[in-house]
Amino acid sequence: MVMAEQLINGQVIEACQQGDRAAFQLLFETYKDKVFSIAVYSSGGDRAVADDVTQQIFLKLFTAIRQFRGDSEFTTWLYRLVVNACLDERRRRRRLLPLPETLAMKNPSEKKPQERQYARREVSEAVQAAIGELKPKFRLPILLKYIEGLSYEEIASVMGCSKGTVASRLNRGHSQLAKRLAHLNHPAAWGE
Amino acid sequence: MFSRHVTKDISAYCHGELSSQQSKQFAEHIISCVRCRSRFEEIKLGIKFAEQLPQISAPDHLWSGLESLLDKQGGPQITQIRQVPASSWRMRVAAAAVILLVVSLGVWWVYNKRSGAVLITENGKPYWQVIRLDGTPTIGKEGISNNGQLAVGEWLETDGKSKAQIAVSSIGSVDIDENTRVRLLETHATEHRLELARGKMSARIWAPPRLFFVDTPSAVAADLGCAYTLEVDDHGASKLQVTSGWVALELRDRESTVPAGASCETRPVVGPGTPYFDDSSNEFRAELNKVDFDPDAAARSAALKLMLDDARPKDTLTLWHLLTRVDGNDRVRVYEKMAALSPPPQGVTREGILQLNQTMLDGWRDELKLTWMGVGKGVPKPLAEAYWRAKNGLSRRLKEMAPK
Repeated sequence: MVMAEQLINGQVIEACQQGDRAAFQLLFETYKDKVFSIAVYSSGGDRAVADDVTQQIFLKLFTAIRQFRGDSEFTTWLYRLVVNACLDERRRRRRLLPLPETLAMKNPSEKKPQERQYARREVSEAVQAAIGELKPKFRLPILLKYIEGLSYEEIASVMGCSKGTVASRLNRGHSQLAKRLAHLNHPAAWGE
Repeated sequence: MFSRHVTKDISAYCHGELSSQQSKQFAEHIISCVRCRSRFEEIKLGIKFAEQLPQISAPDHLWSGLESLLDKQGGPQITQIRQVPASSWRMRVAAAAVILLVVSLGVWWVYNKRSGAVLITENGKPYWQVIRLDGTPTIGKEGISNNGQLAVGEWLETDGKSKAQIAVSSIGSVDIDENTRVRLLETHATEHRLELARGKMSARIWAPPRLFFVDTPSAVAADLGCAYTLEVDDHGASKLQVTSGWVALELRDRESTVPAGASCETRPVVGPGTPYFDDSSNEFRAELNKVDFDPDAAARSAALKLMLDDARPKDTLTLWHLLTRVDGNDRVRVYEKMAALSPPPQGVTREGILQLNQTMLDGWRDELKLTWMGVGKGVPKPLAEAYWRAKNGLSRRLKEMAPK
């Protein structure tokens, strides 16, 4: 667990349950990048949608936090909200739009890179696009593993399935990534 | 080693999610199973790609937007109730601290969290520790006194009077002899890669198979849990000598798997030659050298005939590799000599072998491994493997290689 997350203890959560805005902000600052990252990858790179989803997740978190009884880890509870919100958003978009999942990912926040970094960024962008093309059941375990750094047990708890299912879905996800991106597996693409 | 396939456990193995016992069984199996190894390579590549996923920073306006929503929503849960012991100013200080912490930990998280035990320089580059053993080895153009850091992309060089030792992350060590030039190409949780441009190195690796690689001008040495020496001359030719475990030498589709007690030579363009046991006769080795590298087809065929005359049962290691490298009558000759020295097991036919049926080739190789391990036929396979592992110190290393 990252040190910042260790600051989110029972006292902070209790303060949030009592409606303390500063405690909310602490919670928000701690988890915003991780939640936003999952929202971006789950929305096919659409940052406007990711903005909305992230806000809705935190809004829901703040209004529902009084129901959190500490039966599970706070992070498990949070990521369950995130996963459900991303799945809901996907369902909603599928009803409204053809399928924006395979949109090319954009990463405008990064500055013009040096030559060596350029190739790595190419790979990174291709990976982001490939992640967007995975089915949610393969994509979400990958995001929870690589963005959130959760263990298989934690992922299983968030997704409501067994550790074996997590292992199997990660295997399938990794395998699909390797097949889709095999053409990038040469030294130049890794910036070497 | 020949137990059930382990493909479903590959991601869990790479992420250190298996128990020590499961990891040991996994590593033992994957050394010998071509099918699982191929899948292992594929999934490892997928993991390598997934590790490139960056965390994306949330835009600054999110909090103000969220505050507006909270204000609009109202309700008692967002009013400023002061019932908690921690005061609000403390929370604000903590919030400011955490913002700073999150930013500063971002870099740490990207590198450290995802790369396991990989060390990172002050400039943010992964590196390996280097110890001076003799003389003044150099990293870049700087001589090192006692210790140094070899960062990704940097060259370590020794002259005629210097030697060094590299700690390969937490998975082993490499001794660098005199007049040697090596470069660290890559080091992260799923791959550690060194380039040996010239000179000699000795590696002792206790990692899972296929995590440590050495690129040479004429082949890539892939560690399968072992100890070995590798030497590259000024023309880019190399010689591998394995003292424990197994090493694979690869270039494009050509692969030689070399067990303890055996060696293999490589040449630029051609790639890996054919492995041979170090105790084979000088004549056998001289003829094999022609078979592997003589540009004249007639000379290669003539050398093959002489070599086959000298072959012992143990030399089926060499002959098995040659099956896929010669054709026509030469392949028939190799098959017949092998069949005379060690008849193929049930289910492996002459026609299948001559047509290079991969399943049959693998089946025969699995049977021959006992001979290559130096264990007589009739000894139960588990006992033979246990003996071989003990003899080569592999059992201890397999325990050590289990991801923690």
